[in-house]
Amino acid sequence: MTFIASFLSMFRGRKLAIVGLIWLCIVAFAAIAAPLLAPFDPLEIDPVARLSEPGMPYLFGTDHFGRDSFSRAIYGARMAVIIGLGSVVVALITGGLIGMLSAYFTRLGHVLMRGVDVLMAFPALLLALVLMTLLERSVTNTIIVIGVVYATTTARILFGMTLKLKGEVFVDAAICSGAGHGSVLFRHILPNLISPLLVQASFIFAFAQLQAAALDFLGLGLPPEVASWGNMLSEERIYVTRAPWLLIFPGALIILSVFSMNLVGDAMRDSIDPRFKDDIAGV
Amino acid sequence: MALLEVSNLEIAVATGGQLLPVVRGVSFEVKANETFGIVGESGCGKSLTSLAIMGLLEGSQVRITGGSIHFDGRELTALSAEDRRAIMGAQMAMIFQEPMTSLNPVYRIGDQIVETLRQHRDMSRRQARDRAVELLDLVRIPEPGRRIDSFPHQMSGGQRQRVMIAMAMACDPKLLIADEPTTALDVTVQKEVLDLMADLQSRMGTAIVLISHDLGVIAETCDKVAVMYRGKIAESAATGELFSNMCHPYTRGLLNSIPVVDRDVEWLEAIPGRVPTIDEVLSGCAFHPRCAMAEARCESEDPDKRDVATGHTIRCHFAEVGSA
Repeated sequence: MTFIASFLSMFRGRKLAIVGLIWLCIVAFAAIAAPLLAPFDPLEIDPVARLSEPGMPYLFGTDHFGRDSFSRAIYGARMAVIIGLGSVVVALITGGLIGMLSAYFTRLGHVLMRGVDVLMAFPALLLALVLMTLLERSVTNTIIVIGVVYATTTARILFGMTLKLKGEVFVDAAICSGAGHGSVLFRHILPNLISPLLVQASFIFAFAQLQAAALDFLGLGLPPEVASWGNMLSEERIYVTRAPWLLIFPGALIILSVFSMNLVGDAMRDSIDPRFKDDIAGV
Repeated sequence: MALLEVSNLEIAVATGGQLLPVVRGVSFEVKANETFGIVGESGCGKSLTSLAIMGLLEGSQVRITGGSIHFDGRELTALSAEDRRAIMGAQMAMIFQEPMTSLNPVYRIGDQIVETLRQHRDMSRRQARDRAVELLDLVRIPEPGRRIDSFPHQMSGGQRQRVMIAMAMACDPKLLIADEPTTALDVTVQKEVLDLMADLQSRMGTAIVLISHDLGVIAETCDKVAVMYRGKIAESAATGELFSNMCHPYTRGLLNSIPVVDRDVEWLEAIPGRVPTIDEVLSGCAFHPRCAMAEARCESEDPDKRDVATGHTIRCHFAEVGSA
């Protein structure tokens, strides 16, 4: 309870962030309850009703196969959450481990962090594109690739913070009481990194959405049959003049979700890091 | 047989491809139930000596380049990491200068004591917690049963230092190293903490190495004292002997620079100059540029250690001359 209370207190006086949080709750609910909410099967084809306008029974209209856009958008929300959470887990675990181990074991760090530097030299999307062309298009591979791309920034951030924590007296005190490397790293240092990790997670979640949508749009992300917002954009882009709603709805969903996640992330970061306070009062 | 025997300890800092010596040939022994004080200005190598004993230099740019540290029949410099971990916390423990940062801010203090206990003792969670409450009571934390669930930030500096002492004493160590344990505390709390350490020592027979730059603290608590200057022990003696018969001009300088309450002093006598930086190469006695008694010989010849009385050693060519 105290955790939820302190989480909610981060949003005090931030109206936009609260709107963002509400929107994310809606997306999360849609993701969980997709089979109950969607009026049609996202893959079901109604050839007679191809490219029909938004209305009843097709709320968001239908695409060029005659699939219900609304149902696909709801299943797309599920895919967005899966990709987001998956990428966060991959990025935090790999990036976190690399960053912490590099800072703690200096020599290993020289090697690992140079590798991270090399990866960071590539723009995120380019790196994701290169990795995706080497792999088969699948949900898992998309998650891994996006996770790896954002593992680099996570590694950098945790490297710096671990380096700082390593010099704290309580770490020496722990060593003095007989703690081994593993215990020092994971029991004494890691718990002090939870707040920055949470903030980092919120931003990775947001960027993963954009990255996944971009990969889908370029035809290198999820397999084409998977209902995702990026795939919806990609498949229907040639109908932009005949049926613009097919692009407007998924596009708006992507924008709203990423924007909301960033607002929530900003609110979290500001309440954890006092240096950012009052810079953008009221937002 | 002494519990801790440090002999000819050499420590150097690696910078820019060269090794700069910071501790040179330090030797001393500490017996059980004895308090050994090390005094000196900042940068004289006293903290490094204590870190070397605790094995905390590993992985940094500072390393032990020579000498031996013998503890309870074992050579610490040759110990494997695993064997060392078994000793740390169980047989030797350390208290640090900064009580504000030496406890992990994200854990309740009880958990930190429990962890130390369970690391070395075969104890259940319940037993360890009961023992932790006992320990907190021992270091005179009021309401230990309730305070055990406090976070470090909910306690004052003096209380945190007591929690540190409780953690250090958790497994009844044979040796306790206290690196300026009272420097960050105000004088009344300082007295309480020192009394507490003395009290625990008399109960458990722990040997204490007390590092301080405060001669008052040393005079009050230690059985033997070593005065360090620029990585060497300048003078070493039993506390009574040292304070009644100060020989080394540096030791006298340190004492003269302390204001005396019952005497009206216009001008405090400071030691002129400053501690030389570690990369300055000095010939002869390291103290000669600041020494009032320095003569030509001091510039060229580094004084050897010699006895002036039983158990009273100094490194100075002319010590007795000015002692009258």
